[in-house]
Amino acid sequence: MLKLYFLIFYEFMKIGVFAIGGGYAALPFLYYLQEKYNWFSMEELTNMIAVSNITPGPIGINMATYTGYTTANLLGAIIATSAIILIPFIMTIIITKLFVKFQSCSCVNMAFTGLKPAACALLASISIKLFYQTIIRTKDEPSSFCFIDYQALLLFLLIIIPFIFFKKNPLIVIILGAVGGIVIKGF
Amino acid sequence: MKVSLFEIYKVFFIIGIQLLGGGYVIVPLLKSSVVEEKKWLTEEELIDFYAMSQCIPGIIAGNIATCAGFKIRGILGALTAILGIITPPFVIIIMLANILTSIIDYPIIQNAFWGIRISVVILVILTIKDLWTKSVNSTFAYILFFFILLCLLILPVSPTLIIITSAVISLLYSKIKGSKNA
Repeated sequence: MLKLYFLIFYEFMKIGVFAIGGGYAALPFLYYLQEKYNWFSMEELTNMIAVSNITPGPIGINMATYTGYTTANLLGAIIATSAIILIPFIMTIIITKLFVKFQSCSCVNMAFTGLKPAACALLASISIKLFYQTIIRTKDEPSSFCFIDYQALLLFLLIIIPFIFFKKNPLIVIILGAVGGIVIKGF
Repeated sequence: MKVSLFEIYKVFFIIGIQLLGGGYVIVPLLKSSVVEEKKWLTEEELIDFYAMSQCIPGIIAGNIATCAGFKIRGILGALTAILGIITPPFVIIIMLANILTSIIDYPIIQNAFWGIRISVVILVILTIKDLWTKSVNSTFAYILFFFILLCLLILPVSPTLIIITSAVISLLYSKIKGSKNA
């Protein structure tokens, strides 16, 4: 058990340092954790992302709290949440202390020019896996190689098409999904 | 006069409740409470903190809260500010997690989450779209993007490794480009 707590701390500390590029940046890391340790199922993880989206607070920290809680209850949640903010916290204090007036450093900017496309590619690979798992293959049909869940595809298209033109609103996207799920699966 | 830690906790706790829809919302929230109402910081300092937080790894809202708390009352202030900001979401998440586990077996909730999982796929795709237009806008970025995507689809590479490698590649690239221009 102690080993599990240590692992949670270590993995989330890494996410805190390397998840760069906004709220969803932690996502590829969480999917990686899923594949590596199996602390939670893929389905659970997707549910957790949805809940983190509709809860106040930074999405990255919310996801840490939720995944920590699912993996090892309250203590797990506390460890994951503190681990994800630990290193940035220390770095922020040091940098605030050192620079009275911060000059945006060109060196960091240079590194960031490549980090954003990298973060984008990480998310793209996750979205391909997610799309495959939710829409192309369902668990009920393990024998068929390529089985399209037409209901899922229909809902996917119905929701995504308007948002190609309008600005995304996570809350509305999630509500539409929930209502769509109840309507399509319920009847 | 020293600002009391409880006062800092209270202000950041309230900001934590209002933080809906990602980290960037924290800037206007801090502006109205910490800058305009409490006058603990100047607007210029806040803008500096925002610029600085983007250059430090980690969640931007957390970093800005740390900067602000530190400026107000040193390390204890920073700790209080970040605790204040994460308490409300922490409590809400734990509550929601418990509610969810007790209702997840109802068919209607199962159906709703079947749809919500599709919403999550869409949210990730829409985020990629935003990130793509903002950051994948040079030949270098295109090559890096497709190269990494290809690697990820073929091999199970750790995201940490990807981030470190691309940081090194971009630094080398800018050095080479810089020396050519000079």
